[in-house]
Amino acid sequence: MFKEFVLMAIDSLRANKFRSLLTMLGIIIGSATLVAVLSLGNTLQSQVFERFVDLGTRRIAVLPGDPQARGARDVPGYGLLSIQDYRALEQLVARHPDVFRTIAPEVSLRVQARSGSSFANTTIVGTTKEYQFIQTVPVQYGRFLTDEDDRQAARVAVLGALVAEDLFGKENVKNAVGRTIEVNGQPLQVVGVLRQLGGPFSSDQRILVPVSTARLRIAGSQDLPGRGLQMSSILLSLQSEQEVARGEALVRATLRATRNVPEGAIDDFRLNLPTQALSVLAGINGAITGFIALVAGISLVVGGIGIMNIMLVAVTERTREIGVRKALGATDGDVLSQFVLEAVAISVAGSLLGVGGAIGLVVLVGVAAGLSVSISWVAVALALIFACAIGVGFGYYPARRAALLLPIEALRYE
Amino acid sequence: MNTETEYITPVEVIDYVTEPVVRVEHVTKEFVTGGNRFRALDDVSLEIHRGEMVAIMGPSGSGKSTLMTILGLLDVPTSGSYWLDGQDVSKLDRVQQARVRNQKLGFVFQNFNLLPRLTALKNVELPLVYGRVGAREREERARQALEAVGLGTKLHNRPNELSGGQKQRVAIARALVGNPSMVLADEPTGALDTRTGAEIMALFRELNREQGITIVIVTHDPEIGKQMDRVIGLRDGRIADNILQEYYHVNLALEELELPVREMAPVPVPVLKPEQE
Repeated sequence: MFKEFVLMAIDSLRANKFRSLLTMLGIIIGSATLVAVLSLGNTLQSQVFERFVDLGTRRIAVLPGDPQARGARDVPGYGLLSIQDYRALEQLVARHPDVFRTIAPEVSLRVQARSGSSFANTTIVGTTKEYQFIQTVPVQYGRFLTDEDDRQAARVAVLGALVAEDLFGKENVKNAVGRTIEVNGQPLQVVGVLRQLGGPFSSDQRILVPVSTARLRIAGSQDLPGRGLQMSSILLSLQSEQEVARGEALVRATLRATRNVPEGAIDDFRLNLPTQALSVLAGINGAITGFIALVAGISLVVGGIGIMNIMLVAVTERTREIGVRKALGATDGDVLSQFVLEAVAISVAGSLLGVGGAIGLVVLVGVAAGLSVSISWVAVALALIFACAIGVGFGYYPARRAALLLPIEALRYE
Repeated sequence: MNTETEYITPVEVIDYVTEPVVRVEHVTKEFVTGGNRFRALDDVSLEIHRGEMVAIMGPSGSGKSTLMTILGLLDVPTSGSYWLDGQDVSKLDRVQQARVRNQKLGFVFQNFNLLPRLTALKNVELPLVYGRVGAREREERARQALEAVGLGTKLHNRPNELSGGQKQRVAIARALVGNPSMVLADEPTGALDTRTGAEIMALFRELNREQGITIVIVTHDPEIGKQMDRVIGLRDGRIADNILQEYYHVNLALEELELPVREMAPVPVPVLKPEQE
């Protein structure tokens, strides 16, 4: 019986192909949007944020401990970070390539830089080539620091955009590469200038030099007794946002061991975790997804109204048919089922077309952009279930009108 | 041949004689149109017996169509009782009415009312679909019904590929396929030419004689009325006697009128053509 009704419904779709297609349009667009957005959502999100905004969602920063904190032990140099800590973490990163991507030191010093008669009070940051994979430091002119620079403690510097402007003048920034500046009396050759990014966390106002250069040629008295070079912070980047918890645990355990923190004592260092950035990201992502889901929802509802409209037309057009069916023994329930199933057939067929189109689109985008994309089967199921619900919901009223027609009046209808 | 099976047992005979297929008692049907009450049927009582072939006749507005819709359970009487096959069907709900229509009644309409997108076979299967008969049995029974009305070769044709007479045969097959207690035909020859109409009437007669099917035909055509076992006349919503005779006289009078008219038909007049030079 059910099978008969399904066949009838499909047959009536085929009877009015073009009309059915137009009716389906809202459902097609709604389903396609739903599947495309939910499938591409994660991929696009990470692509977009990685390229345009560095929220540091994959970064753990190790910062010095606060000697004023409750529970801080009263030992000399409490909380300070040294190159020993860095070396220990470097080994940790090498041991866990599945968790960590890379590591970079930050040795920050307040300095005065000079070029001819121009001065700039700025921060110099000693680091390595890995820094560019953790922080957003796009090079506009010249190059970034290399491992070779670090090995040789080379007298080279990469200038932040604003520092370069201060020292050479706005119009001469592009000619800065190759010039020499003086920092704390030490000459450094400019090898690169960074693009200006703006914002309080950018490197616009910094000078980047090899960490060895910072230690040997600039820092002077920055070594900690028995522990080597003092560090401002140590940055670690994670393979993915999912590794935050594991990364944190590993870093904490390693540091406590290296720094001989007694059992029960509080950490004498601080970890800056990307949880806040992640929640901001999740918020933005949620808002975007929510908005597009709303659009998809609206177009599905509009599609549903279209279906209701066309079903009302169909009921009027087919009043005689309904009369004949009733004369032959169709109950109100039979007629109701027939028309509801017809509405469901329209919406599900539309949904299938939309889902098919969306899958095609997602694959195409994946190939074109060279991304690894995956179809969200949850979204596919969601779209189909939603379409079914809309068919039933919006088909019910017209179907009920058909079902409640009096057989004799339906038969006499001209 | 075993002749014993040919006999009807007395009990069956009594049943056959005493239980009418249709018993209508004091049925009244009123319609309210624009605040006015209009009595389409006024205290109608009648019986139709098994195996009868009966016409319901009357001029337009006599209530014959209303009586047909009540006999067909397409409408309910305002008052009165209706027994179909011994079952009181005047107080059924809509679902029960549908079931009775499906199991006990077969309809044949003036304009065939076949579903245009279905083949002849599928059209005939329709009552069985609503009777929840399985697909294989359905097809077999529909095929037999179509063969019985002489359309064994047109099973897979759609209505628009069939002539008027063939369409009406499909409709008759559809009415018969559920083995109904009674076939109700509303002006079954009304949309057909005289010859095809006669063929359809012959088919009804054959089905009635050979299979004992009870047939009720609503018509205004006295020629059809004359072929019936019995004519139930209606005038102004009441049962009327001698309705056929009335028709007959009117028609005879018309025929007498037509004769001189026919004789006065214009004779072709030779047309003068311009002479050839």
